[in-house]
Amino acid sequence: MANDMLSGTPPAGALRSSWRRLTAPVPLMGWLLGSLGAALLELAAGGAVAGLLGLDKIPLLFGFLIAFKQPLAIPGVLAYDILVYLLPVLLVGRLSAPPVNRLVAALYRLPLVVSVLVHLGLLYAALHLWSGVSDYRVLMLNLMLIAIMLTLSLNLINGYMGEFSCSHPGFMALGAYAASIFSLVLFVDDRIFGQALLPAAAGPWLFPVALVAGGAMAAVGALVIAIPSFRTRGDYLAIISLAFLFIVKSMIENLELVGGPRGLGGQPGYAGLTTVFIWCVLCIWIINNFVRSTLGKALNAVRDDELAAEAMTIDTRRTKMTAFMFGAFWAGIAGGLYAHVLQHVTPASFDLRMLAEMLAMVYFGGLNSVYGSIVGALSLSVLSEALRPLELIKWIFIPLLLILVMIFRPRGLIAFKEFNVRDIVKPKA
Amino acid sequence: MTFFFQNVVNALQYGSFYALIALGYSMVYSILMLFNFAHGDIFMTGAYIGFGVATGLTVLAAAGTIVLPNWLILVLTILIAMFLTSMLGMLVERLGYRPLRDAPRASAAITGMMIGLILEYGNLLLLGPQRRSFPRLIQTVTYDVGGVILTNKKIMIVAVSMVLMYALHLFISRTRWGLAMRAMAFDHVVVPLMGVPINTIARLTFALGSALAAVAGIFFGLAYPVLDPYMGIVFGWKAFVAAILGGRGSVMGATIAGFMLGFIEIFVAMVFPSTLRDLIAYSIILGILVFRPHGLFGEAYSARLRL
Amino acid sequence: MPLLDVKKMTHYFGGLRAVHDYHLSIEPGQIRGLIGPNGAGKTTIFNLLTGIHKPTEGEILLDGNSLVGLFPHQIAALGLGRTFQNLCLWRHMTVLEHVMLARYARLDYGLVGAFFGTAKRQRQEAESEIVARKLLRMLGIEDLAEQNVLNLSYGNQRRVEMARALATEPKILFLDEPTAGMTPEELIQMMAIIRQVHAELGLAIFLIEHRLKMVMELCEQIQTLVFGEVIAEGTPEEIQNNPQVIEAYLGKETLH
Repeated sequence: MANDMLSGTPPAGALRSSWRRLTAPVPLMGWLLGSLGAALLELAAGGAVAGLLGLDKIPLLFGFLIAFKQPLAIPGVLAYDILVYLLPVLLVGRLSAPPVNRLVAALYRLPLVVSVLVHLGLLYAALHLWSGVSDYRVLMLNLMLIAIMLTLSLNLINGYMGEFSCSHPGFMALGAYAASIFSLVLFVDDRIFGQALLPAAAGPWLFPVALVAGGAMAAVGALVIAIPSFRTRGDYLAIISLAFLFIVKSMIENLELVGGPRGLGGQPGYAGLTTVFIWCVLCIWIINNFVRSTLGKALNAVRDDELAAEAMTIDTRRTKMTAFMFGAFWAGIAGGLYAHVLQHVTPASFDLRMLAEMLAMVYFGGLNSVYGSIVGALSLSVLSEALRPLELIKWIFIPLLLILVMIFRPRGLIAFKEFNVRDIVKPKA
Repeated sequence: MTFFFQNVVNALQYGSFYALIALGYSMVYSILMLFNFAHGDIFMTGAYIGFGVATGLTVLAAAGTIVLPNWLILVLTILIAMFLTSMLGMLVERLGYRPLRDAPRASAAITGMMIGLILEYGNLLLLGPQRRSFPRLIQTVTYDVGGVILTNKKIMIVAVSMVLMYALHLFISRTRWGLAMRAMAFDHVVVPLMGVPINTIARLTFALGSALAAVAGIFFGLAYPVLDPYMGIVFGWKAFVAAILGGRGSVMGATIAGFMLGFIEIFVAMVFPSTLRDLIAYSIILGILVFRPHGLFGEAYSARLRL
Repeated sequence: MPLLDVKKMTHYFGGLRAVHDYHLSIEPGQIRGLIGPNGAGKTTIFNLLTGIHKPTEGEILLDGNSLVGLFPHQIAALGLGRTFQNLCLWRHMTVLEHVMLARYARLDYGLVGAFFGTAKRQRQEAESEIVARKLLRMLGIEDLAEQNVLNLSYGNQRRVEMARALATEPKILFLDEPTAGMTPEELIQMMAIIRQVHAELGLAIFLIEHRLKMVMELCEQIQTLVFGEVIAEGTPEEIQNNPQVIEAYLGKETLH
């Protein structure tokens, strides 16, 4: 290290290396514990700290929302972020590193499931506590988790299989409406569908069935694109999928039975943070399993050279069918969750704007990468929320950012990277 | 029967817009193998530029600063808007597409969409969300031909569009630049090596397509004298579909498919409730593409997406 | 009974006759060659036999199963492996992934296994990896297993393609100009590999080649194709001395 000093490392470099030294021994679990600590601290003393710093209330999204409205509050917000989030996370993470590493190492020797479940439990606890402060945070987290599912399932088709599918909002709409109808017919006394057929208490238990029904509906809809994809690739398939999106949207608008252009409301609030979190984890787990299997890698073979894939015994029709139906299934599930989170859906929301957002998340995060999809969905959702106070300028800023990413990293930030759970939960040092 | 012919006239006018826009998509595609997804919003911007120029000139003329008859204002508006919009097109090419020429095509598609969003929201930011009414530059004259109502605007729009399309055809088939464009469309790898300046050709293609889109925008403003910031999305995507339907990169195909789309939309609305227009129009398109996977006039060609 | 038996195969592209009355019969373990000038229809014959095109007329039997009308992947799974003239590798995959992916038809864990990572899947994927690594070792590229194929030299890319084709467990291997674009040293290595594969796995091999020296050295029987028709068939000596072949094809070579 003395060497560094002598050779005159620039301050930024020195800062980075000391940061690295500070954080290197902290395993993922340390960070999760730190986040949990920060969330607890906010719950216990967040209001008081905010008051001391001259803020009206706890900044809901790290202060972004306030900062744009009241620039004078920026120092207070920064101090709040440092005191309530940064310092506790760093302190707990760093100080607990030695014992936590031993714990993680012990867990690591058990079946992988155990480690993963413990980590997920901690993550959920931190999110739960953090979002307990306001309904806004719950809603935002729910939508972010849904965005991850959508991005990941779209990446399956656009990234892993290399088609440019534009129909994802259509699949999502199919799932949203199918799941909503399932819930409304069975468990809600509704203006359109009449008396509930089953006691409302059974609703939450049958919610997975409703979601799977939505997913199945979307998967069946995906056949409209999967079957032409046997003969057509590239641009023409993109248009077929785009036409499909418009057809689904227009069909729903013309179906008075489901509310036409006014949409469908009154879905019971089955989709709490817990439910959405579990489904999101399931989605990541299953898709990640799939893309790492030979059946999943067949998608890449179809993308890179279909002729060679056929010659190497790969059933390309089955592969394409699987990719479209499987991707659509998860879009449908996400749609069902979306409908039950917002408790109201309109066909107009499944439009080109939503398509552009989904595509942006996929291509920003990175093609052919579960990591990339998670990062893309999270970062763009957060960015989009954080810049919301800017209103129109936000929609100039975000596209500009994306163009820059496309120019300098045309395949996205984290493309072609395997998501290896075993590495993530590994002990450090 | 008159009802039928009336709709034919309307469809021709509608089809002219689609065809003019679709040509822009198609030309860019044939030269650079990518769809300029910002094109719909270039059409919108063209319409607004036309709106600005026309309003400005009308105000000046009304104040007596300059003396211009209305028809001259229209001609000037069209020319100035074509020029400015083609500048915009070249700018989009330079900033948005040239850096991405060797990138995966999907990245270019995303960039195009994002440029479209920027144009759209830039417009919203400058002019606000309200609709604008286009100045009435020419007095509407109505002719009754055997019960079919024709207006001088409709005749002008269809006629000028056709003339422009024919001029484009001549440009592409007769001039040296047109030859270079056709050569590029034929082979993207070898032709640039033969000394055909790819950047100039790309710029030219964007300029031509944008100029046509500006004309479409102004005509749209004349025919339905309202402009709104989302017209690019609505029309652009449909024209894009027409461009594909015609067979990508086929200029003739794009023209015909543009008119065809106009006919489908108008005649669907004639028979069915207008809310079903999109549903039926897109179902027909889907059907065509499923059974003719390479468009109506495109040649069989298996696109391999580069990732 | 021959392993591969082709009778009276004829194919038209539109009105153009690409292949006329083609016969072929290959015994297990035999090495056969197909030569002919450019555009004679050699690759078309490969494409017809491997199911990329469906012959207009004729019969193709592999081990008694008719191949006409099957999808290419079904034909491949029945035991007809192939390589491509222009190396159709998958740009974003590692060497090991290439070879493992060619085991697609040999895995039967299904979508349930793929989605949930069942024990059956783990077992089959592990077996598949062992087979793949064995093939890579045989072709001398085991140490490149984790490399992306695009980082490999041309000769090694050819080996990957060979390993990939072998991983489908073919009974007969079709090689479409396996030495195209190779340096003389690489050519010698490739010939050694083909001999080795033939000796160790006892495969039948059907070879299209431009370099006559190689065909003459490797093959027991050679067919000469001109304008979609076989004009001569026989041992290398017979082919070399056949006046029709010399006129149609070798004539140019003997001038030098």
